[in-house]
Amino acid sequence: MKKLFIALSLSLLVAQSGHAAGGAIDVPKGEWSFVGPKAHWDTMEILRGYEVATQVCLACHGFKYFSHRNLTEIGLTEEQTKALAAKMDMDVNAKLLSGLTEEDGKDAYGLVVPDLSVMAKARPNGVDYLKALLLGYEDAPEGFDVGNGHYNKYFPGHIIAMPNPLSEDIITYMDGTPATVEQMAHDVSAFIAFTSEPELVKRQNLGIYVLIYLLIFTALTYALKNAIWRDIKKKS
Amino acid sequence: MNKYTQWFDERLPIFSFMDKQLANKPTPKNLNYMWNFGSLAGVCLMLQIITGIFLAMHYKADVNLAFDSVQHIMRNVEWGWLIRNMHMVGASFFFIVVYIHIFRGLYYGSYKSPREVLWWMGIIILFLMMATAFIGYVLPWGQMSYWGATVITNLLSVIPFVGESIVVWLWGGYNVGDPTLNRFFALHYLLPFVIVGVVFLHLWALWTSKSNNPVGIDLKKQTDWIPFHPYYTIKDMFGLGVFLIPFTFMVFFLPDYLGHTDNYIPADPLKTPAHIVPEWYFLPFYAILRAIPHKLLGVVAMVASIAILFVLPWLDRSKVRSANFRPIYRQMFWIFLVNVFVLGWVGAKPPEGHYVIIGQVSTTLYFLFFLSLPWVSKFEKTKPLPTSL
Repeated sequence: MKKLFIALSLSLLVAQSGHAAGGAIDVPKGEWSFVGPKAHWDTMEILRGYEVATQVCLACHGFKYFSHRNLTEIGLTEEQTKALAAKMDMDVNAKLLSGLTEEDGKDAYGLVVPDLSVMAKARPNGVDYLKALLLGYEDAPEGFDVGNGHYNKYFPGHIIAMPNPLSEDIITYMDGTPATVEQMAHDVSAFIAFTSEPELVKRQNLGIYVLIYLLIFTALTYALKNAIWRDIKKKS
Repeated sequence: MNKYTQWFDERLPIFSFMDKQLANKPTPKNLNYMWNFGSLAGVCLMLQIITGIFLAMHYKADVNLAFDSVQHIMRNVEWGWLIRNMHMVGASFFFIVVYIHIFRGLYYGSYKSPREVLWWMGIIILFLMMATAFIGYVLPWGQMSYWGATVITNLLSVIPFVGESIVVWLWGGYNVGDPTLNRFFALHYLLPFVIVGVVFLHLWALWTSKSNNPVGIDLKKQTDWIPFHPYYTIKDMFGLGVFLIPFTFMVFFLPDYLGHTDNYIPADPLKTPAHIVPEWYFLPFYAILRAIPHKLLGVVAMVASIAILFVLPWLDRSKVRSANFRPIYRQMFWIFLVNVFVLGWVGAKPPEGHYVIIGQVSTTLYFLFFLSLPWVSKFEKTKPLPTSL
């Protein structure tokens, strides 16, 4: 009967591999500060990502679940968040929305430009996919017709409406980091991971303590169970 | 009992009921860990109800607001992310627990006389759970919510003559829309309490016919029984700890692992997802639905795949309950179990190529298990049963 338990647990993995098979393309796995046992937000990385997001992405994409106030979560003071918002002529509580209207977006790209604020959760492989996509622009293979779109090796179907948004030094980082395409792709993906799950770091760090608590609880109940059952076991 | 509780108990005997049915309930002393899953299922139900009530305080059942309100819960509601993750992961773990509970019943023959009605109540709970889970998945109003709801509710249109009208009546319009979402929310709040009611009947039947046990014999000797408390309360507590470890791990580290990424895209009636896949716990039944190329028969087979459990106590005529004493049934059980996994795997794949064939073979095997039981139970040579533990 123990086999049964193991088998049923395995079914979850089977089910999931089935889900993942739904047309997803393998993407390179990156190293991220906010995933793993020592999860934390890299303040400068997220801020650089914020710069890419506001100076490049925001031309077309909104971040409707993000407001400047959320940046306190990565360690900024309220004054600093207000200063950043003021630089963009925005209230610290205002949603970060694109100037591009839905209709203009449709005219230019033939579709509604998606909001990016939960994008890291809305695609298989999340943040790794976002980074790969931004670095995945290539010339289309011989004879591959992309129509009005652009070739991207990581986009499902390879034809993406968005033109390659990043090029070297398209922005200048406040902290002086060289704005290579690789750097910007990494930083803005981290920023989107942050806007997608602002609780991500808190969640993982708290989870470790809850698990430790439960391990102790379970060990104690096991010891107690054995103590209570001792006389029954002896008799049989 | 002190004189105050005594006074109360003479007027409403809650305390003596709890003492008789819970604390001092005679319980077989040989129950193994597979008997932990009943009480765990109860814990899951409570967890879903409590987290669900808190979510309902912040959720908005409106097609223009639903998706945003879920994000509002995740971001702005104090501990909202924790409550929602528990509810989301809790649904999956509820099904894991209940499926193990059912397979335990199948293995040890817990459906046999005198527990047929107990078994029926369990099947009704399973149906209600499925309805509740399906409706609940629609509420976040993501792409999979919308398209899953569209595909599954459309299945009812195969009912002869009245099918189309029923679907329109169910939707409250000519497609899945605002009225659908609104009533699904109302039902998603109602059904769990209906489940609680049937759970009570399930327990009542259990108290009447008493627990089955791994040996599957009727226990006549006094020494074969022990009081539920403290022996099984502590064992259930330990089981709860073992359950909570993987549950917590998923809640804090992989809350979206069992869901579909498409459900973080707001519902768009104009854009069909590449693959519409139900939640993992529906996949075996989804595979059965698709195995049959005729729409009406497919739906009939899907419903029958669970409803056949109602007549299982009469299909299986063997007097011996536990599979440990039934060499042929035991083999059949394991094949059946593996086959259900195969069905789940096929259910997640697109219905093309060799997946179709595998799905059809597996579906046949699934029903063959039940339909061969009358003969198997007649000819099977069972091992001798002990008379006491």
